[in-house]
Amino acid sequence: MQAKVKILVVDDELPVCRSISSALEAEGRLIDTALGGEEALRKEEENEYDIMLVDLMMPGMSGMDLLKAVKEKRAEVVVVMITGYPTMDTAVQSVKLGAFDYIPKPFTPDELRSIVSRALERRRLYEQKIASAEKPGEEESAEPGLPKNLYCIPDHCWAKVEGDGTVRIGVHDIFLMTIKDISSIDFPYENEKVGQGDACLWVVDARGNLHRMWSPVSGQVISINEELKEDYSQVMRDPYGSGWLLLIKPASLEDDLKNLAPLVLE
Amino acid sequence: MRHISIRTRLVLSFSIVILVGVLLSAFVGIRLIGNTIIRQAQGKVRLDLNSAWEVYKGQSENIKDVVRLTAVRFFMKDAVSKNDRERLWRELQKIRESESLDILTLIDGEGRVLVRARRPDLFGDPLDNDIIEYVLINEREIVSTQIITEEQLQKEGGDLASQARMKLIPTPKAKPRPEAEETSGMMIIAAAPVYDYHGDLIGILLGGKLLNRDYEIVDRVKDIVYRGETYQGKDIGTATIFQGDLRIATNVLREDGSRAIGTRVSEEVYDQVIGQGAPWIGRAFVVNDWYITAYEPIKSLQGEIIGMLYVGMLEAPYLDLRNRVLFIFLGIALLSVILLSIIAYFTTAKVVRPVRQLLFATEKVADGNLSHRLPIQSRDEMGQLAASFNRMTEELQKATEGYHMLTRTLEDKVREKTEELKATQDQLIQSEKLTSLGKLAAGIAHEINNPLTSILINSHLIAEKLKSDDRFKENLELITDETARCSTIVKGLLEFSRQTQPEKRLTDVNKVVDKTLLLLRSEALAHKVRIHKALDSALPDIMIDGNKIEQVFTNVILNALEAMPTGGDLFISSRILSEDQLVAVSFRDSGCGISQENIGKIFDPFFTTKERTGTGLGLSVSYGIVQQHGGRIEVQSQMEKGTTVTILLPANNTRGQNSKTGR
Ligand SMILES: Nc1ncnc2c1ncn2[C@@H]1O[C@H](COP(=O)(O)OP(=O)(O)OP(=O)(O)O)[C@@H](O)[C@H]1O
Ligand SMILES: [Mg+2]
Repeated sequence: MQAKVKILVVDDELPVCRSISSALEAEGRLIDTALGGEEALRKEEENEYDIMLVDLMMPGMSGMDLLKAVKEKRAEVVVVMITGYPTMDTAVQSVKLGAFDYIPKPFTPDELRSIVSRALERRRLYEQKIASAEKPGEEESAEPGLPKNLYCIPDHCWAKVEGDGTVRIGVHDIFLMTIKDISSIDFPYENEKVGQGDACLWVVDARGNLHRMWSPVSGQVISINEELKEDYSQVMRDPYGSGWLLLIKPASLEDDLKNLAPLVLE
Repeated sequence: MRHISIRTRLVLSFSIVILVGVLLSAFVGIRLIGNTIIRQAQGKVRLDLNSAWEVYKGQSENIKDVVRLTAVRFFMKDAVSKNDRERLWRELQKIRESESLDILTLIDGEGRVLVRARRPDLFGDPLDNDIIEYVLINEREIVSTQIITEEQLQKEGGDLASQARMKLIPTPKAKPRPEAEETSGMMIIAAAPVYDYHGDLIGILLGGKLLNRDYEIVDRVKDIVYRGETYQGKDIGTATIFQGDLRIATNVLREDGSRAIGTRVSEEVYDQVIGQGAPWIGRAFVVNDWYITAYEPIKSLQGEIIGMLYVGMLEAPYLDLRNRVLFIFLGIALLSVILLSIIAYFTTAKVVRPVRQLLFATEKVADGNLSHRLPIQSRDEMGQLAASFNRMTEELQKATEGYHMLTRTLEDKVREKTEELKATQDQLIQSEKLTSLGKLAAGIAHEINNPLTSILINSHLIAEKLKSDDRFKENLELITDETARCSTIVKGLLEFSRQTQPEKRLTDVNKVVDKTLLLLRSEALAHKVRIHKALDSALPDIMIDGNKIEQVFTNVILNALEAMPTGGDLFISSRILSEDQLVAVSFRDSGCGISQENIGKIFDPFFTTKERTGTGLGLSVSYGIVQQHGGRIEVQSQMEKGTTVTILLPANNTRGQNSKTGR
């Protein structure tokens, strides 16, 4: 029997906390609320939550500070940020700082649940990783055929610089793991220009949840993987190979790569 | 004085100067001429007096010659020697008569009368006379003028005494004399010695002519000197022989036409000529007229002044001449004044005309007409003045034109700058409005977001719990829908308030237009709007945030569709304005248009004419986005005709291109 999933909702307004709590209430979940950063930190120390939903805009200790403090202590906590309205700045900033994702206010219970389900998956991955870490050596046995020149936005997507200077883009396996299944994908138009951090793909999972994927580089869409349109499972099966999504002609690759992390496959 | 024109003044002063000059010269001229005439007359009179003397002396010499020649005649010696008195008388009487002498008397060596030509009966009486004495002493002939007493005259014969006797006629200016008549006479007497054959003096011959009432000399003088000229019936020239102050022979006439003998000379002349023996030359009132006169004394053998010789010319002709000259002179003077005035009038006209023109010109200049020029009519000072005036106005005109040009350009510049400033200010106000409103909106949005979140979540949760046929389901859906609407409004607000920098990349604007249209296709169809595209394929890629610009286009197109609720046409065009380095995308609709009143407000946040359906943020958000791109939005609209919204974006931002080529 699995231990109860412990979730902490942090918002400076009690009705919001309560509403979120009631939307997430389910079997096997333990949901706590905190009305501020300090309170959240105290509670986190006591309970060691699995998932934290943190409002970015709070008086006193901000959501960003709380994220930093929590991640410093326990990197495996999955933090989802709640924002008044997403801006590219806060989104990218919080994700770089270790947030799993963010959700803009106001949201429906469904939207909340889809992101939380992903967060739970992510949490599970962490646990597996921790478990597998107990069997060292496995990390070295990485697949020998792994593509080189790989970069990523952590847990979201990858970018591979090809020999002709173009960039191939695909979905990070952890992202895929958090959504579990793909029912459809919305692609950008060919020749469309995208910027780094822009939403370039919209993924709908089996439960109908819509997930955005951010472009790792800026540039112009040269082509999309038309084959996937018939069978999205290809992405799940071979995310770093035939499951690629877009081919982009980068506009400012060198600058963009600085913001990306090198991808190390497990 | 001030209202008299310069010309009148000039003419007046000229005339005064001329008048004074002419009068002065006339005065001097008249004086000069008068004096000259008088002096000439006096000179002439003096000469005439000399002529008169010649006549007088001629007569004297004549008598002397007769006496001398008679004295040396043979019969004289013979008869005296023989004492033949009869023969002597006969001969002497013949001679006296032929020579028309008044007396011819022979005196013996002892001074006794031998023979009297007129009175043979009277002889032997002693005859005492100065000239006899002279001849006796000097033994030569002599002639002289002597006063002869009445007694003597009577002795000499007949009527000589009565010829000499003269009643004194009272004369106004004469020196008073006690006696009533003059009895003695004045005579030219000549004497010559008579010798015998041995040369011994045997007698003295005496011959003379009584001057009283003898007009021969004076008339000869008048004839010789004046040739009998008359003036207004009067003799011009006159001559007189005075015995003392008494006129004894004259051709000066009394008023009744008789000779003015018996009248006397004026005391003044008397005193000078007889009293002092000096000649008198000058004006004198003679009898009844003014004469220019010359008097000189007649002296006896002993040098005693016994009478005067006089010549005189009527002053009247000279005076008339002088007056005539005066009149002529005055006439000339008057004529000169008139003539000179006329000349002055025209000369001043010549002088004044350019002055008038100058005056006129300066008035014009004063009125601001700087193009007026003076004609240059002469090379004199006036001409130079006109020339320099022209130069002055020319310079003035140039300067004024320059000044006008300067002020005009200045004005233009000021207007330009003001307009620029106003535009910037408008923009500033607009962005200021946006900024402060953005902050407010962000705050509100955030505050509203929380309750919205609660409402949204809870209404959904309730809906989930209700059965699908629950009668409240519909109400709950209304709540969730309205909450969603609130959420979009808040989203708009936040989007509007977002101050983030656009993420600019090189983008094909035409593509953005296409993408926007793709999304709005169904919307356009619903509005029955036909869309016409005219996109310039040669448009360069420009640095823009594609998403934001898409949002702008969406807002503008939606507005156009909303302005045409019953359908219409939407023309979308893109072009490059190379001169401004701008890419322009125009959206022209055939909709309702925007009223003049509203056109200034459409960029204001929350300004809307679509009460329920609009938030009034579309254009203000678009404005902010375009401004962040360094561009602008232009709106032209006509009520009931349509609206054209043009988005202008800078095309010269090639930062992205540089980094691309840098690779
Ligand atoms: N093409 C157009 N034709 C006529 N009126 C227009 C047009 N575009 C804008 N307007 C006027 O300008 C107002 C402001 O436009 P704006 O887009 O800012 O707000 P809105 O359209 O009313 O609301 P929202 O865009 O937020 O839904 C409009 O309400 C309308 O009156
Ligand atoms: Mg609008």
